[in-house]
Amino acid sequence: MDPQTAARLAAGIGIGLATIGPGIGIGYLTGRTTDAIARQPEAVGDIRTTMIIGVALAEALTLYAFVIAILLAVS
Amino acid sequence: MANEVEASKITEALHELEVQTIWNLPEIGPFDFSISNAVIYMWVSALVVFVFFFVIARRLRKQPDALQTAGEVLLNLGTGHLTGQIGEKGKKYYYLVLTIFVYILFTNLIGLIPKPVALRPYTPTTNINVTFGMAFVVFVVVQYQGFKRHGVRGYIGSWLSPPGVPKAMALPLNLIFFVVHLMGEFFKPLSLAIRLFGNTIAGHLIILVMLGLVLEYQNYLIAIPPLAFVVAMNGFEIFVALLQAYIFSLLAVIYIESAIYAGH
Repeated sequence: MDPQTAARLAAGIGIGLATIGPGIGIGYLTGRTTDAIARQPEAVGDIRTTMIIGVALAEALTLYAFVIAILLAVS
Repeated sequence: MANEVEASKITEALHELEVQTIWNLPEIGPFDFSISNAVIYMWVSALVVFVFFFVIARRLRKQPDALQTAGEVLLNLGTGHLTGQIGEKGKKYYYLVLTIFVYILFTNLIGLIPKPVALRPYTPTTNINVTFGMAFVVFVVVQYQGFKRHGVRGYIGSWLSPPGVPKAMALPLNLIFFVVHLMGEFFKPLSLAIRLFGNTIAGHLIILVMLGLVLEYQNYLIAIPPLAFVVAMNGFEIFVALLQAYIFSLLAVIYIESAIYAGH
């Protein structure tokens, strides 16, 4: 298998594996957020803001892998 | 080779992600000053931000209408919510953070408007150089505040391990903390850049590849699911544009705050 093909294969496998961790993380985070909102509905604003920040930070991890995958796939 | 054969309508649809030179200027050392469509669209967003706030400031009224309320909301965001962490000490950075927020927001929103190919559309935030430039500004601000407020010894001292460590373990622990914190100082602005770049380009790439699929198989029946998906994806991209602008400026504020109040 020449390096070009191996790089593209690695890009595909990498991005596939990279969505597992943040997927679990964001799902867990959203679950705990709904628990927190159910416990104290008047703090919805703060809880929602914190959840959005957490989701963006977890999403960034997928994007690091995405950038590396793009670098692998086009060279 | 397979990659020349499939350079078809799909890659043609990706014209929005391609930087095209419009006016070729000479290179001075490592810097190439030619005007490309990326540069022109950066100017367009800067102009839109300027005109937006200029028009609002010109027509301030006692009973705010919709436009003025939008401006007021943005201003409250910049001087209140986002910068609530810096407080008074970082007051001169309120408007930097607000500018970053509004600029990223308007750039991403303008990039979502469909434009004809003749205008050579381009979203600057899909270019890692643009986002890295903004993160570099944040990096310079953070290091400048850190070194100015605490001095070299104090600031680097805040990178070492916290006090109360037994003498024997002090040196290796200090070394580990120092190395980890040093990597973090470089990695945090880089992560800002990659986060913004990755979110924007992922959304645009999905939309453009779907449209390229529609162009490739020119069939009315096949075109319906991709088009519905593209409409939904554009809506999601609007939300992502707002969110990423907010996250970039919020994290910039947090980093500036951690440099101003280092180790307290």
